[in-house]
Amino acid sequence: MQNFDVPAPPPPNVSHPGVVVTDITDKFASAVKTLSPGELVKDDHFTLFESVSALEIMDPKMDSGVLSEGESLDEEYDVSRLLLPEEILGIIDQLLCLEMAWHLGYPLSQTLLTSVYVESLMNPRPTSIDEANFTRDPEICEKQPVLLFVLRAYCLGMLKSCYLVNQLVKDELYYEEEDFVTNTYDRTLLNDIPEASIIGLLQKARSDLRAAGNVSKDISAALDLRLELRIAFMRAIDLSTLRQANPDSLKMPWIQMRGLMEHIEKNHALGKSVPEAFSTKLQRRLASTMPPRPIVQLSFEECYGHFRRLFQDGIEVTDVLKYSEPQSLLTFVSTFQAKKPQPLVFIRTLLQSLLFKEMVVLGSYSIRQILDHDLSLTVLPCSPQIDPANDNIEVPSDPRHQTAAQMEIFRQRVAESYLDIFRIFCQNRCRVRRTLCHSIQEWDMLQADVEEIDNLLQINLDEKPLHTERGEIGYALPLSSWAYLYKLRQMEWIVQLGFELEVYQPDELAGMYWYLNYLAKTRAQHGDRIKMFNARSLDMARNRANHRHPATPNSSNNGGKKTAATATLSAAQEREFAQSKSYIRATMLDAACTWEFADGLCCLYTALGRVGLVGPSSSSYRNDLLRYEIRTKPFAAIGLPQRPAFDAFARATDQPDTSVPELLRYAAGAVAGARKGYEALAKTPDAQAFCVGAHERWVGGVRDCLRAAIAAGVAVSTLQGAYEKALDGAAVGGGGEGEGEGRKIEDSELDVKLKMEIPPPGKGYHDWWVVPKLTPLP
Amino acid sequence: MEAARATQLPGELRYIQYEHALEETYLPAIRALISKDLSEPYSIYVYRYFLYQWAHLCYMALNPADNSLIGVIICKLEHHASHSPPTYRGYIAMLAVSSAYRGHGIATALVKMAIDAMAERNADEIVLETEETNLPAMRLYERLGFLRSKKLHRYYLNGNSAYRLVLLLKSSAGSDVNRQPT
Repeated sequence: MQNFDVPAPPPPNVSHPGVVVTDITDKFASAVKTLSPGELVKDDHFTLFESVSALEIMDPKMDSGVLSEGESLDEEYDVSRLLLPEEILGIIDQLLCLEMAWHLGYPLSQTLLTSVYVESLMNPRPTSIDEANFTRDPEICEKQPVLLFVLRAYCLGMLKSCYLVNQLVKDELYYEEEDFVTNTYDRTLLNDIPEASIIGLLQKARSDLRAAGNVSKDISAALDLRLELRIAFMRAIDLSTLRQANPDSLKMPWIQMRGLMEHIEKNHALGKSVPEAFSTKLQRRLASTMPPRPIVQLSFEECYGHFRRLFQDGIEVTDVLKYSEPQSLLTFVSTFQAKKPQPLVFIRTLLQSLLFKEMVVLGSYSIRQILDHDLSLTVLPCSPQIDPANDNIEVPSDPRHQTAAQMEIFRQRVAESYLDIFRIFCQNRCRVRRTLCHSIQEWDMLQADVEEIDNLLQINLDEKPLHTERGEIGYALPLSSWAYLYKLRQMEWIVQLGFELEVYQPDELAGMYWYLNYLAKTRAQHGDRIKMFNARSLDMARNRANHRHPATPNSSNNGGKKTAATATLSAAQEREFAQSKSYIRATMLDAACTWEFADGLCCLYTALGRVGLVGPSSSSYRNDLLRYEIRTKPFAAIGLPQRPAFDAFARATDQPDTSVPELLRYAAGAVAGARKGYEALAKTPDAQAFCVGAHERWVGGVRDCLRAAIAAGVAVSTLQGAYEKALDGAAVGGGGEGEGEGRKIEDSELDVKLKMEIPPPGKGYHDWWVVPKLTPLP
Repeated sequence: MEAARATQLPGELRYIQYEHALEETYLPAIRALISKDLSEPYSIYVYRYFLYQWAHLCYMALNPADNSLIGVIICKLEHHASHSPPTYRGYIAMLAVSSAYRGHGIATALVKMAIDAMAERNADEIVLETEETNLPAMRLYERLGFLRSKKLHRYYLNGNSAYRLVLLLKSSAGSDVNRQPT
């Protein structure tokens, strides 16, 4: 506690015209006496946030002005001091580590802005490249250590790169402080100085370095590599704005950097670090109230690993521009972002900017092109509904004019939500899951809205309900159907990300796999429905072509009756129908794999629960109905598919009427089915699997699922064997009294003598498939 | 939190509810106990923010020998309206047990007292965040029936992620999980 008895300091001398000074010391002193220490005068606006941001004077962890005995306030390192060439190399490599720490999400204040050299370049703010020097005094400049120009050029290139990265990130969707800290604490990161002059300086530094005779060859080469890296880094960012260019040309600087990094790693050991050239004290000069916090220090090995991945991801990300169709694009984005570790924010925002900027998709396409392409691939192959010729009909009473108008309303309604799916995938994994939980609410409403457009258009296009041998199926409702497909996929992703992020406890796994199975089955059924309508469209199109009728919507319908028609469609039309057919086949196969595997794991975990290996916690606060309510909260308001009632969910998961052997037999069959499915998927060529441009990543994922399914098969048979053995043991052990009366041995009484381990994310074969490892106990 | 240490408990602990009159006696010890596990300290205002408004939701475990502080739980209970429907939400802000006395169920006892106090005041739900690496804490809460509702990326200043844990005490308004789909 402070001693308040010391004499009061003299009042500050405030003299300013218009300011009348009133001494309130006495009033304040008497007012505070009415409060006891700790009593809080709190208005409603003083929130937890305010109390957390409050500072305590004289607490060294909160008060940036507190100095310990003999500590100086400011850093006293002299930037004009002598530096050995190996020290310059050492400082550069320290800067590389700090730069990477910033990319990983730590603030500049604890990373690059702790460098005394960086601070001297940036403060006071340089307005020209000449001012951007460690010392602005020309006389001292003359006397600078010989190779300091290398460090200067390196730092300027580095800071400008940081500026460019910061701008890129700020333009896209990211979460400040959670993903990345864009705060520059009032340092401008050289935004006034053109890139060209910095690149010029770097190039000059490279040639001056070559000319400097008194440096060891190895160190000179090591320094040169680092200067070259800075040039390539700026070029990579610069090129990425040319989204219409050949993607392979955008890759060049990334490939170059990947190569440079390998060499940089090799000669890192030549450098000599200079720890005193970095200080937390510099944070006191930044625009921040935070007291100095420690420097985030990565090891060079970690830093190298991150840079290597960054450059590899940079090479891969440009391939997104090689567009083939929207489903492959979605596969590209989702598999790219599912990489472990996930690409850095810099790459994730770069991907966003390549995907969509200034109303242009992938640098070349309109949103309409992508949307219509997606529709033709899924629910409207060769449909008059998306015929661009409709736009040319100006007569308002013409159905084609009305169709064009309604489709435009549709596009306006869905464009943002559609692009959001891609954007959502570019977020960190926790955010992807949470944002999808909001997105499905939007898609649920959107589905209802576009179904109204479907209703209008079915009159307009004179559509008839579809009759099959199964009875009346109803109208195609293509737009609603399309929205439903996307909603279902998002719902599945939410559950799957729950597994990936370890949100579910072991005793929830059976239930969550049951729910995943329910969703995937719904998607497969929906795929089947789409398939029937697409088949009808194909018949109708062939009929139309056969009858050589002009393709007007009014004459295009034959009431759903199938007529044998010879194919006289154009090759392009045939291709469009075939492509849509293979898309529906691919999504149904994928859904079938998911549903089988989920079904198998549900049964396995239920069986494990029966024999006591997965046990629910027993607490008086536990209430399974309320737990179900929390767990399914994101799905509660979804109209279709409706959240199952708790009783139905509990029955389907627990399967009380199915014995353990039956459960396991069922699990074995389901897991084997999934395995066959994944084998088939893995053999599917990229165009038919809709992973063009992302085949390697996609097939890698499928193979991981396959391995997980094989492991699940092993777990099922291990439990089968152990269960039978335990049952035999129990029958023998309890033989005397039990046998005659046929007393049923409860599953919970059995000792299956197994140890169960649930691998944490990253340790199993695939994070979406949590397969238990069962090992026999002696 | 560290693994259980085998220190003998000094007899039956005293569990008492905090009140403002105890500030001088216990606030310094509460701060010391809690800040031990924190990378960044909380200002005195953070403690007072909770203790002044929700002293009735703060419980302390005291050593019967000398009444020194062994464990503490600090909570709040407020209407939470950031999403619909609004809920009356309890929040466990801080929980700490002196490392020498861990593994004796003191934290569990404190959490139960806090849950009971909030339930009695009609809380709909109780939430908290815990560091993903803090397995003992997660085990403690999950044994009591808490569920992980979401994961929060890089939630803490040290770069670690967190889980939001939830214990629902009442069915939320308008929700009817037992409705049979039509």
